[in-house]
Amino acid sequence: MGTGRGRFYRKGQVPPVSELKSKIIEALDEAEFVLGWTATGSGAAAPARFHNAGEAEDAVFDSTCVHNLAVQLPRLKDKTVGIVAKSCDARSIVQLAAEREVDLERVKLIAVDCPGMIDVKSIRRSFGFGASIEDDGTSLRIASAEAEREEFIVAKCRGCEDRDGGAGDPGNHPLREKFYSMSAVERRAFWRDHYSRCIRCYACREACPMCFCRDVCIMQTRDPHWIGGGVNSAEAEMMQLIRVNHLAGRCSGCGECERACPVGIPLMLLIDEQNRVIQEMFGYRAGIDPEAKPPLLSFNIKGDIWEEE
Amino acid sequence: MKLIGFLCNWCSYAGADMAGTSRIQQPGDLHIVRMPCTGRINPLLILKAFQEGADGVLVSGCHPGDCHYNDGNYYARRRLELLARMLPAFGIASERFQYTWVSASEGARWAQVVDDFTERVRSLQ
Amino acid sequence: MRIGVFVCQCGTNIAATVDTEKAAAAGSLRDVHHAETIQYTCSDPGQRAIIDAIREKELTRVVIAACSPRMHETTFRRAVTRAGLNPFMMDMVNIREHCSWVHSDVDTATGKAIDLTSMGVARVRKQASLFSSKVPVTNRVLVIGGGVAGIQAALDIADAGLPVTMVERGPSIGGNMARLDKTFPTLDCSSCILTPRMVEANQHEQIDLMVNSEVDTVRGHVGNFEVDIRKKATCVIEEKCTGCMICQEKCPSRAPDEFNAGVGESKAISVPFPQAVPLVANLRKEHCRQFIRGKCGVCKKVCKSGAIDYEQEDEVTTERFGAIVVATGYEPYDWREAYPDYGGGQYPDVITSLQYERLLSASGPTGGHVRRPSDGEEPRQVVFISCVGSRDESVGRPFCCSVGCMYIAKQAILTKEHIPESQSYVFYIDIRAGGKGYEEFTRRAQKEYGAVYLRGRVGKIYPSKGKLMVMGTDTLSGEQVEIEADLVVLAAGFAAAEGAGELARKLNISYDQYEFLSESHPKLRPVETNTGGIFLAGACQGPKDIPGSVAQASAAAAKAIGLLSKGELETSPMVAAVNQTRCTGCFKCRDVCPYNAIEAVEARDGHQTARVVDSLCHGCGVCNVACPPAVISLKGYTDNQLIAETLELLR
Repeated sequence: MGTGRGRFYRKGQVPPVSELKSKIIEALDEAEFVLGWTATGSGAAAPARFHNAGEAEDAVFDSTCVHNLAVQLPRLKDKTVGIVAKSCDARSIVQLAAEREVDLERVKLIAVDCPGMIDVKSIRRSFGFGASIEDDGTSLRIASAEAEREEFIVAKCRGCEDRDGGAGDPGNHPLREKFYSMSAVERRAFWRDHYSRCIRCYACREACPMCFCRDVCIMQTRDPHWIGGGVNSAEAEMMQLIRVNHLAGRCSGCGECERACPVGIPLMLLIDEQNRVIQEMFGYRAGIDPEAKPPLLSFNIKGDIWEEE
Repeated sequence: MKLIGFLCNWCSYAGADMAGTSRIQQPGDLHIVRMPCTGRINPLLILKAFQEGADGVLVSGCHPGDCHYNDGNYYARRRLELLARMLPAFGIASERFQYTWVSASEGARWAQVVDDFTERVRSLQ
Repeated sequence: MRIGVFVCQCGTNIAATVDTEKAAAAGSLRDVHHAETIQYTCSDPGQRAIIDAIREKELTRVVIAACSPRMHETTFRRAVTRAGLNPFMMDMVNIREHCSWVHSDVDTATGKAIDLTSMGVARVRKQASLFSSKVPVTNRVLVIGGGVAGIQAALDIADAGLPVTMVERGPSIGGNMARLDKTFPTLDCSSCILTPRMVEANQHEQIDLMVNSEVDTVRGHVGNFEVDIRKKATCVIEEKCTGCMICQEKCPSRAPDEFNAGVGESKAISVPFPQAVPLVANLRKEHCRQFIRGKCGVCKKVCKSGAIDYEQEDEVTTERFGAIVVATGYEPYDWREAYPDYGGGQYPDVITSLQYERLLSASGPTGGHVRRPSDGEEPRQVVFISCVGSRDESVGRPFCCSVGCMYIAKQAILTKEHIPESQSYVFYIDIRAGGKGYEEFTRRAQKEYGAVYLRGRVGKIYPSKGKLMVMGTDTLSGEQVEIEADLVVLAAGFAAAEGAGELARKLNISYDQYEFLSESHPKLRPVETNTGGIFLAGACQGPKDIPGSVAQASAAAAKAIGLLSKGELETSPMVAAVNQTRCTGCFKCRDVCPYNAIEAVEARDGHQTARVVDSLCHGCGVCNVACPPAVISLKGYTDNQLIAETLELLR
């Protein structure tokens, strides 16, 4: 995917960014606009829409372009749009296509190589807001000093299979070992503890490209009344059970839910586990083949890989 | 103990009826909820039951191939197996959940399933 | 909301282990305005008490804690309807089969009954009135199978004025009965009673007879099935063939004689048997020289009416039917692999009873003279072995064929009539002769015709000097028996017709492990299947004799006629429904629906939403679970009802 493996675009590095811009401009021939990133004063890039060549001048791609822009696509179904996508984002687009939420004919994909996104928030937490961050995709300098880049990569990129230096292990959650050493009873307590911090902001849902029900989500209805309106550990647990249930066989593991969580609930532990189980049961990974039948919307009379008897 | 059983109307519910007609004694913890089909059973309903304090959940339907609605239990089989494998990650001991297939003529087997499941959950208490 | 709770004592069936007064104390629950115990709720006075209470207390919903809803749900739905409630405003709670009958401890049973009743109250609180809609039906019936059952059903339905299409996969109707010589216990000639019925079916103006035809695919639903019927190429133009049989005479390719159950030979092109209906030749390509070697053409040359067409291809037609009667019959169990001790088919003089039937028949390959296959000699000692592939767990066929004992007696009698100096021996397990005149008949075989009955199984048959040595045990005397037989006739059990399971899958009906098709209820719905509008007739449902098959065929016909008599059908109210204003149009419901009951419709804002076709929906609820925002909901089993019922237990 993309061009020049290992290359990394940073504002000011003229040739590669110009390449990105020209691709955006090219896509605008057909696309109404292109979803991408623009630089902000804060030092971290922000999502943006480019409607014309002039706006495309502001396009960037750097190691702070952490968002999965595919989340916007289901609401743009009736438009032809372009989108700048990392490999994880592309899997979400493929899965949306498999679920007929995206028409691949109407999405102009601009693929970019991703070196793994850096965790600006945690760097600032450790080094202070003013510390300068320079990253070329292979070496990271914080406050003008060399830093171990892999240590400051966002959680969702650590296990990445598609970038150089990624662990190639999508379930590589920092808390994984701790979590799997616990008994079922301990895990319940672990979750209840984490869930007690939930402020029910729905950021996990909003960041998820596969949660496209939006205003009819069962987390906010009384018919059906699966969940109450309270902000507490029990309701938060139900919220996550709903989310995990709804993502079965659909999640490409982009990690946006956990990254978006303002109170740091390790949501990807459950998601990774489910993705692992789905692969174990059905040999299926979401977002790989837009023609593949999603495992929970199909069945095999003769029994599946995991077949019981 | 509060055990809840979600049974399809056509096979397992009738199998449980058959156990009753045959007067096969069973422990009294299980409460049966009638479902049209295992395909109607939302994994969320099982999770909700656990969340609200159920000690165990038992699901039973027609044997694969015998579904009254042809395919319902095939979908259920996938959903329920996934749930069974996910329960430990949610923090629920996998012994507390079981899904099985009991036909309308398997009254004795139904009683055995109830016996075994009740015993299994009781041993966790 | 005013809920009434009625707890049935069922005499002592419930009251002996459940303190019904305490269970009725679910009356203290929210919204419950009336609670009482009734000795027998299903009785007339019981139902009247419910109706009176609904009227007096102005109840709007009712919970009846009694037996299994599978038993009396319809009874009570009708009762509350008589009191002016919507029938679905009643919910049954099973405190008998699931409670009083399976618990002996009064506290346990009572506690559980209280819980179950409260759960019922929680559930009925969330219930909505449900209504059925009406759909027009197609006034045409498909009968699959042209044996005696299919013929009977087709004639009954056609006589009632409904058009019938009868599909038979073989070249003639008549089925296995056409192969029989005489029938028990009256010994009247099988073809004498059947052939007129076959002709009548063919000539009936309401019956469209399609032979050499099979059901390809079935779509649709009760009242409106759409069926693709494949008419297989036979290289003979049916309308032109006169049945003169010259082609058969001149045909140089030999072929097995299927009608004669493999005894005797036929030709590659042949009329299946002289009384065949329709009387039309058909060509079997796998035996025909024209197709094997690419040249011959004899039949085409000799056919005066130009009925031969080697290029003929299968034709598929699509027809609509309101109801389907399945009458695919049986075939004799293929005993050869399971019984190596009987020679496994190696000994030519060990034959099945159906083959023997052909040897007895005047229209058979020997012209009604009993000659054994190996050397054409008239047998003197004939041994009959019952239950070959019936009542035999060791070969996985535990069920009784229900007719073996009778036709063995018949064949023993006929043997004596054909060959007065012959002696018949019958090895049997039990003599099952439970029908009108049946027991007397088996007695006659023994007393008047001298058949020797030996109770026991045959262990081994082996050839010796042109004879067959039959070794068995007479369990009554405890002695080993050895009989020198000229001919051995095996009473092969019943097997479902080949492909019965496959057809059942096409029809969405269930079948058992032996591929016999399953009735909806063994006693009360013996000809219905679990799929509306599809009925069973004859031995496809299980082993049966001719009167039983005919009776069931008439019953199936009555059901089909009754179904279509009103010209329209009420759909089930318990179907899925989409809240269209909230549907996101993801169509996961359509992906999982086993009945293709979901269609796409355009909402006002132009986006696609799902809609349920009521008459196609069976109410399984698979869609309800597949829908992430749960905007498709199974009526009568809504999420909120199930959640309420579940939470009530855990409260």
